[in-house]
Amino acid sequence: MKRLPEITDKVKRNLIWKSIFRRDYRNNVRDRAQAIFGNVFLHLHPVQVRESAVKLRFTWGMGGITFFAFITLVITGVVLMFYYHPTIDQAYTDIKDLEFQVPFGVILRNLHRWGAHFMVIVVMIHMFRVFMTGSYKAPRQFNWGIGVFLLVLTFLLSFTGYLTPWDQLGFWAITVGTNMGAATPLLGYQGPFSEYLHITPYNDVRFALLGGAQVGGNALLRSYIWHCVAIPLISIILMFVHFWRVRKDGGISKPQK
Amino acid sequence: MANENKNNSSYKVYVFVFFSAVLLALSLWVVWDDEFGLRPWKKYQEEFKTMKHDQLEKDYRKAVVEFQRSGGHKRLAELEAQLAKAETSFQSGGTQEKYKQLTKQFDDLHAQSAINQKELQNARGLFLETEYYFTKTQKPEYKVKMDELQRQIDAITLRGNALQKKEEVLKNSISAITSGKAHLEAEIERMKSGLEDLKEKIANNNKVAVEIKQIHIKDIDKADRCQTCHIGIDGKRQVSLLQPFARHPASFVYLDHHDPTKFGCTFCHRGQGRATTSTEKAHGNVKHWDEPLLAGDMTQTSCLNCHGDIKGLRGAEEIVNSTELLKKYGCYSCHKIPGYETMGDVGPVLTEVGTKVNYSWAVKWLLDPKLYFSTARMPKFFFTQDQAESIADYLFSMSGTTRHDVDYSKETPNAKLVEQGKALWSQARCNLCHTTGGRGGNHVKVYAPDLSKVGSKVNKEWLFRWLKNPNAYFPGTKMPRFRFTDEDIKSLVEYITSEYKDDEAEPKYVQPVEIQVASIKKGKDLVQKYGCYGCHKLQGMEEMVQIAPSLKSQGVSFLRGDEMREKIGTELSSIGSKPLEMLDFGKLKKSIPNDRLSYIKQKLRDPRGYRLGLRMPDFRLAESEINELAAVLYGFTDSNVPVRFMVPSRQELDRMAGVQSYKFTGDFAKVIADVKCTNCHSIRGIGADYAPDLSYAGSKLQEGWIRNFLANPDVIRPLLQQMPKLGLTSGKPAAKITMPRFNLGQQKVEDTNRTDVDVVINFFQQELVSNDIPKKIPVITTMTMPEQISKGKNLYDEKGCKSCHQIGTEGGALGPNLSNVGNRLNPGFIFKHLENARKFKPDIVEPDYGFTERERIYLTNFLMTLKLNTK
Repeated sequence: MKRLPEITDKVKRNLIWKSIFRRDYRNNVRDRAQAIFGNVFLHLHPVQVRESAVKLRFTWGMGGITFFAFITLVITGVVLMFYYHPTIDQAYTDIKDLEFQVPFGVILRNLHRWGAHFMVIVVMIHMFRVFMTGSYKAPRQFNWGIGVFLLVLTFLLSFTGYLTPWDQLGFWAITVGTNMGAATPLLGYQGPFSEYLHITPYNDVRFALLGGAQVGGNALLRSYIWHCVAIPLISIILMFVHFWRVRKDGGISKPQK
Repeated sequence: MANENKNNSSYKVYVFVFFSAVLLALSLWVVWDDEFGLRPWKKYQEEFKTMKHDQLEKDYRKAVVEFQRSGGHKRLAELEAQLAKAETSFQSGGTQEKYKQLTKQFDDLHAQSAINQKELQNARGLFLETEYYFTKTQKPEYKVKMDELQRQIDAITLRGNALQKKEEVLKNSISAITSGKAHLEAEIERMKSGLEDLKEKIANNNKVAVEIKQIHIKDIDKADRCQTCHIGIDGKRQVSLLQPFARHPASFVYLDHHDPTKFGCTFCHRGQGRATTSTEKAHGNVKHWDEPLLAGDMTQTSCLNCHGDIKGLRGAEEIVNSTELLKKYGCYSCHKIPGYETMGDVGPVLTEVGTKVNYSWAVKWLLDPKLYFSTARMPKFFFTQDQAESIADYLFSMSGTTRHDVDYSKETPNAKLVEQGKALWSQARCNLCHTTGGRGGNHVKVYAPDLSKVGSKVNKEWLFRWLKNPNAYFPGTKMPRFRFTDEDIKSLVEYITSEYKDDEAEPKYVQPVEIQVASIKKGKDLVQKYGCYGCHKLQGMEEMVQIAPSLKSQGVSFLRGDEMREKIGTELSSIGSKPLEMLDFGKLKKSIPNDRLSYIKQKLRDPRGYRLGLRMPDFRLAESEINELAAVLYGFTDSNVPVRFMVPSRQELDRMAGVQSYKFTGDFAKVIADVKCTNCHSIRGIGADYAPDLSYAGSKLQEGWIRNFLANPDVIRPLLQQMPKLGLTSGKPAAKITMPRFNLGQQKVEDTNRTDVDVVINFFQQELVSNDIPKKIPVITTMTMPEQISKGKNLYDEKGCKSCHQIGTEGGALGPNLSNVGNRLNPGFIFKHLENARKFKPDIVEPDYGFTERERIYLTNFLMTLKLNTK
């Protein structure tokens, strides 16, 4: 025990330690600020937050909880991808196997499924709170815009993930959803004015979404790629901007007084 | 203020502690649940292991006791003592030294002979080389060298032989020293091995891993994990009768022909093969799983998945019976059903029905056929009186212009004719097919109408024409043409019309009434709408019978006339796997389970219950019939079956091989079309199976006997009379199960001058012969005939043939009566039949005695002496 300070000292002088932690941490205002500045993740966040702004009854903590749900979904999603093949022969049986056979498969899948529902609900409550507290007003109008995009992306994540189990529920949801796309003006073959662009069922927006004229193997693959790669990437980028703007626009909005 | 803060924070700590505890508890529960809660099979496998262990332990203990009881342990101790003694004597008294010495000598010799062998090889190599040069160059020096080498080779060979001999001698003397010991060791090993094996089995059982057992069928990516719980299902020995440990019932039929490692379980049993977390899930008895487990006889429905031809298929008896119903009610007439496309019409020709029946009867029949007789096959279409009359008008309009009835109830029948007719009725054995007064008839296989009230249905003129030549009115009817004289027919008609009358009949149109044209039109529309042409032949609608309209599952459309291209009912080829959401439960008031089987059963129970506008008639099926039919329909699936599992039907195989299916030719075809032999007999795969198979009748039967039998049929297998199980009597005592007398031989066949018996016999002898059946049997020259016959008689007594066969008044009645076999069968057939009875009749009960050729000759010669004197 006597040698403990010696060892601590040695470790702290080590090059690896120094390159990771950079400086000593003395719990004072300056060092705390430095710790925030010096960290790639934390520096997105304001260095200081007003006490009134973190009051639960004002923010409800919904933005943070949404982000927490997102992280949970990324982690469980990555593990789920190990057990899943996006083909029409295997998709459904893979889901069944998660339930019956994969170790911790039930909790894994349910965390992902219920977590997704949870995120959709929470993100809407977050929007509601932001609206009711007037936090969309200048100078935060740009971040409100980003938020709207993030809301849409959340819905799209939920929608594309719905097809992946390849069950009746998902199949018909995607059928109905993409049929709505077929009624898009100009771009959908059933939509108004589409005839001027020579749109047919085989070149319209629905075809682009499904990779075919009906929900099949290509639709499954497309929704899988959107769900697991494209939309999460876009979301992460927008989230960085979102958090950065919170800081730049003067931190979390606070009550008027 | 400070105080308040403090209180506040300690409150937060409690909340934190509380939720942390909840989180910890939940995490522990997740681990426990994943390990045990969701893997109930672990418990089963452990339990099974314990039970198997106990069983093996018991075996072992029993074996030990047996070993000691039989003195095995004493003998073993003795042997071990002897071995120990041999060991000591071996080590003492210089034996061991001698052994070592000899072994060394042997090793030396062996090394020497190895060297010798190598020299020999070298020399031979050189010799071949020289020989090659010599043949190439023909130089004499090579020849000289070859001779030299040959001498060397001879010398080496000699030396080698000598060495080998020495080795042999040494080997013998070594084994003489050790043989006693080796023998003892082998004996001890042998005695111990039985018990050792058992011990090993126990040890192996303990080593069996507790794990998910999966059968994966690669080509369709099917994974069955049923054996994870049903761990003993294909075991060699029953460990426990309890589920899930029991063995598969009748596994010698099912599993032996369907290796579970190749077929899995869910092919036949359905259920959710991947599920292992609970019984309900695994058996598929859960919401959103459309394939619940099939158990017991219901499983036989799955035979239809792969077997094109289930007739005679062992283990499929229930489903075979059920498919008879499909034929009986003619479901295929309105619905497309795979394998039934070419079946004939179920109902009679209606083209000239106006000349046959009473108008009042026709209307009554259309309203409800079961009012006329209770076993009527025709379903109820729920017509109104008005609709029924319109249809009857349409049908009558095809052969006349009036509604008309005849009424014989006021006439007095000619007593003499009736008497004659009655005798003919029983002689011709009409009751074999037709029921009268609840007696006789065969409603299951040969479906013939109940004649109890026929006197109030048909008129005498038609009946006369019908009996004279049924094919003229109804081509392709099952009714045979009996060779009655016109006098005979007159008496029969008199008998039938006077004896079998309906007291409740109300003939309204004894005075004919003109038919309204509007009514005919309406009737025709109804006939088309309800697809009467599916079962009956109707003028102008013949095409529709074959390819009438299709109403696939979506949408019902009423196609007319030329549009009719497919069958009227829903296609049934994959009803057993139709997605649940495509079944329309519709307006059903009653609450039934939301599954496919319940849907099918309810449809059969109440065909028009699901919604308005349905046209399927009500067959008034018994609940047992509903279950059977539903079982068959449930088996019509389009499930994903690998081609290698398919067993095509014989027809299909013939088609693929380009083999024409068998057809009767020449005059015999005319006789068959007339007498309908194949209603009961099977000939080369054509026909029914409840009279003897005649495929090789020419080789089997003697001409004289055939003539005699056709003139006066007699019972060959007396016991059959008492076997209603064969479907011959449908449970009721029949008059006498034997062949009707068709009066063959009295008339000439159309366009020929041969009698029909001659035609039959000619065809039998020309066509129905087998090259496997010899015309004559081998002759034994070393023994006189009486000696052979007496030897045959001894064999007959010795093997207990008489427990089944009867000769004279002695013997059992399970097999054919042999009293007259010498007149009946050809010796070649008997000879061949004794060799392998199953060759011509695979399901015969006769045991296989494994007779030698000589024994068969004796028996044949004996049997050929059994003759009754017939005049």
